[in-house]
Parts: sequence; C-alpha cells; structure tokens
Amino acid sequence: MLVLARKSGESFRVGMSVKITVLEIKGAQVKIGIDAPDEVIIYREELFRLVEEQNTMAASSSAVDNTNLSELWVALQKKGET
Amino acid sequence: MNSVEWTNYREAAPENRLIEMKRGILGFENLKRFVFLPQDETVPFWQLRSIETGTVFVVINPFLIKPDYAPIIPGRDVRLLEIRKPSDVILMSIITVRREPLKATANLRAPIVINAKLRFAAQVVLEDEEYPLRYPLNTERAL
Repeated sequence: MLVLARKSGESFRVGMSVKITVLEIKGAQVKIGIDAPDEVIIYREELFRLVEEQNTMAASSSAVDNTNLSELWVALQKKGET
Repeated sequence: MNSVEWTNYREAAPENRLIEMKRGILGFENLKRFVFLPQDETVPFWQLRSIETGTVFVVINPFLIKPDYAPIIPGRDVRLLEIRKPSDVILMSIITVRREPLKATANLRAPIVINAKLRFAAQVVLEDEEYPLRYPLNTERAL
C-alpha cells in the first residue's frame, strides 16, 4: 500500500480525474472530500463489501428452478388475500 | 411512451431490449450488457441476464413488495444515467432466492436504477439505512 502524509486542506490525485482532499481532522476521525467523475463508484468499504457479497449470493441463487419462485409467489399472494 | 406506471411491472421493464450498465453491478463490474427477460408468465419476477456471460439476476419491481418504497437517487447517479424526470426511471430489486422459497429476500438498499428511455442502468447503493440489503419477501413472518 502506498502511504502519503497530508495536512488538513491538502489533496492528492488518483489517476487523472480523481482528487481527494483532507478537509478536516478531528480526534479519531478524518473528513475527506472526493472529486471524481460520476462513473467512479464511491462507497464506504464496509458497505461496498456487503453489497458485493449479496450480489454474489443472488447471482448464484438465480440458478434455482422456476418452481421455487412460483411457490414463493403463490404463498405471498395467498398471504395478501387473507 | 412518456410515463412509466410503477405498478404495471409487465409493461415497465423494457423486455428483450439491451440495457447498458453504465457502472457495473458490484462484484460484476466486467458485465456491461444485459437483457431483461420475464421469468415466466405466472410470476412478476424478471431475469436480468448478462449477454456476455449468461450470469442471471432475478429481479422484481420493489413497489410490488414494498408499496411505500421511496428511495432517493443521489445526484451523481441521476447525472450518470442522464435522468431528466422521475418517469424516465424504472427500479428493480435483486432477489436472493433460497432453498426454502419463503426465505427469499430482496435487496432494497442497492436497487438497479434504469433509465428506460436511454436504456442505461447502474446499481445504486442508497445512503438511506432504512432500506435493508436483505428485505424478506415474506414480511409477515419477519415481523
């Protein structure tokens, strides 16, 4: 991992189009500003991982056959009627 | 076609039309081109299928399972997908199917947002923590 030291108000670049600025350092927390094109994803690492993991589960789960989904839908419909 | 009825899921999805992922589904960033296919006639599920690898995501119109769903799409995603008005937008939630059918969940936190007019799409991770990654379709049981 590349390590850079920056003071509050200072920036650095990632590639030609991403600029990251340290906005504020307060105790244990750092506020960071990011200028990036809209096609670049910007998510907190924890959230990114959770979504990625859920997507992977969903993609492999989609191999189930149709009866599973039919069964699910019929059950939900019945529930709605009562 | 000027407007999209949220409830009319069969009309809403641009069936058999190519969808371009402007920003990939997380973990599947390499997949850029998808088609929407109806799962079958009897259920309101759709398949979002990669034409590159055949990878399939089962999706549903989230308003069918959570009628008061009201996600706020961040500005950078609106710009990316060139959305001009709300009626340009179709939302789809990815379903995780389980061995036990009634345990299926829908991802309400990171919907697939589609510009139906231009057929651009992206998975958008909402900032609103109110919407879960694993929303049980069988809500009554969850409560």
